[in-house]
Amino acid sequence: MTNLAELKKKCAWLRRETFEMVVRSKKGHYPSSSSCTEMVVALFYGGYLKYNAQNPKDPDRDRLFISKGHAGMVLYPILEDLGFVPKGELLKFTKAGGVFRFYPDPSIPGIEAITGSLGHGIGLASGHCLAAKRDGKNIRSFVVIGDGECYEGSTWETALFASHAGLDNLVVFVDRNGCIIMDHTEKCVRLDPMADKWRAFGWHTIEIDGHSMDEVTRALDVATSGKIKSPIAIVCNTVKGKGVSFMENRPNWHNKMPTEEQIDQARRELAAEPA
Amino acid sequence: MSEAPKILPRDAFIDEIFDAAKKNPNIYFMTADLGAKALDRFRVELPGQLIHGGISEQNVMDVAAGLAQNGKIVYTYAMAPFVTLRCFEQIKVAIASMFLPMTIIGNGVGYSYNDAGPTHYATEDISCMRSLGGIEILTASDTETVLQTAKLSYTKPALRYVRLDRAFLPDIYPSGDQRFMRDGLVEIEPGEKACIIASGIATHIAKEVRTILAEQGHKVAIIDAFRIKPIEGAVLKRVLAPYSKIITLEEHFLSGGMGGAIVEAMADAQILKPVKRVGVPDKYFLENGGRGYIQSLAGVDAKSAAKTAAEFLK
Repeated sequence: MTNLAELKKKCAWLRRETFEMVVRSKKGHYPSSSSCTEMVVALFYGGYLKYNAQNPKDPDRDRLFISKGHAGMVLYPILEDLGFVPKGELLKFTKAGGVFRFYPDPSIPGIEAITGSLGHGIGLASGHCLAAKRDGKNIRSFVVIGDGECYEGSTWETALFASHAGLDNLVVFVDRNGCIIMDHTEKCVRLDPMADKWRAFGWHTIEIDGHSMDEVTRALDVATSGKIKSPIAIVCNTVKGKGVSFMENRPNWHNKMPTEEQIDQARRELAAEPA
Repeated sequence: MSEAPKILPRDAFIDEIFDAAKKNPNIYFMTADLGAKALDRFRVELPGQLIHGGISEQNVMDVAAGLAQNGKIVYTYAMAPFVTLRCFEQIKVAIASMFLPMTIIGNGVGYSYNDAGPTHYATEDISCMRSLGGIEILTASDTETVLQTAKLSYTKPALRYVRLDRAFLPDIYPSGDQRFMRDGLVEIEPGEKACIIASGIATHIAKEVRTILAEQGHKVAIIDAFRIKPIEGAVLKRVLAPYSKIITLEEHFLSGGMGGAIVEAMADAQILKPVKRVGVPDKYFLENGGRGYIQSLAGVDAKSAAKTAAEFLK
């Protein structure tokens, strides 16, 4: 049984850690990481993802792809916390000799694939799911894609393919934070109705509040129940920049660095423990 | 040209892979809706190992990369222009930058698709693909090169782009010849003073050029460029040593093509000899008339190439 209160605390911790990584290195993407925080916390600490920190390439592990690679850093505090890498690596984020890189790639223990160019994770994961099925293995792939990735044609090419191939071991979180670099998605090129699109492609689609740990875990319960016979899309309505009020839902904060005053304010806001 | 064998390059290649796949369930063949006579057997007998990815080259490459990450021996197959350019970034990111082995089979290189026009012509595939890090590029010029390339692909998996012509190609190499696999560049016809380097169907055109030039008193050698990436400087030096003038001939744009690769390798190996590159000029042709006619417009048919070569050899 998942302890929701513990998971919520982990989310608060992860937001603080990712924010500090950005502040220390002056690199990274806090807003995009914050919008998918609940998803990755639920996977690692909620017991939904089979992983092996001592043997990250354990062939029987589940796979996780942060396909929106600019938010790949959201995994780094978790990977250090769980022992995929030695303690202290977080402090070396993007530094020479450090393991954690600006964008994730498989040279980092616990990272499955290189991402950063959008629209690849879902296809790569489908290859893993297909291999698992052919090999008769009970392995799942989880993918976090951004709503901005839904502009990439390759996303929909694979959405068609995975559905036809019956990849019921594929679970895709769509981080629907509504923002891309230049503006809100609906002002640039409309993406709504998002959930209907996935349904039309033959995916079992669940739409939730992506910051409600209760809803995230309930969606994952369904997705991993073994009862669904198609790939699963969990459309998560989220807030880009969640946790830092002046960044929330402001596209221009995508990779902007806060001032000293703003850092103080953000730290105060992020220090608050969840209700 | 001598009499062509009765099997198309793609069928020869796929038959070989099929036989291997029957014994090895880890071999997967992904197509983006290009068929082949030989694929029909795959469909019937190994349906689990033949994956139709849809007319979706980007999807095919990403999914194939995921399979390769799980230790599968994977083939991706489509018409040459589509399996390279349409999914070029997928090849770069999901395959090359993750150092994954994969055989990318481009069928119908150059003007293979006859009357189809620029959509189906592949006259940029070499320049694009050779710009990728860590990829090997092989062009089959006959059935023996096709068969040995197919064998290599599953015995020593690596990231390779295999260029197949759509036409029947006459034999060049005897069965079991190891020179092209070992050296990449093989002198298949002797000459004096000058040689023509060509690959694929252009090697056969070069043989016709050689005949025309012989009538004019020029005895030129033919070098088949089976592997144009990587090119070993020492091999190039040895192969070119007897010749003072070099001609390259290809059914591909001059920018970044096989001739360009040869010239770059010559520069790197400090081989300083005059070179004349014969290839497709910097334009597309929207013309009926078939492959031979388009070749003549591009100046890469035997007659035009012989004329260019004769000027150069004066």
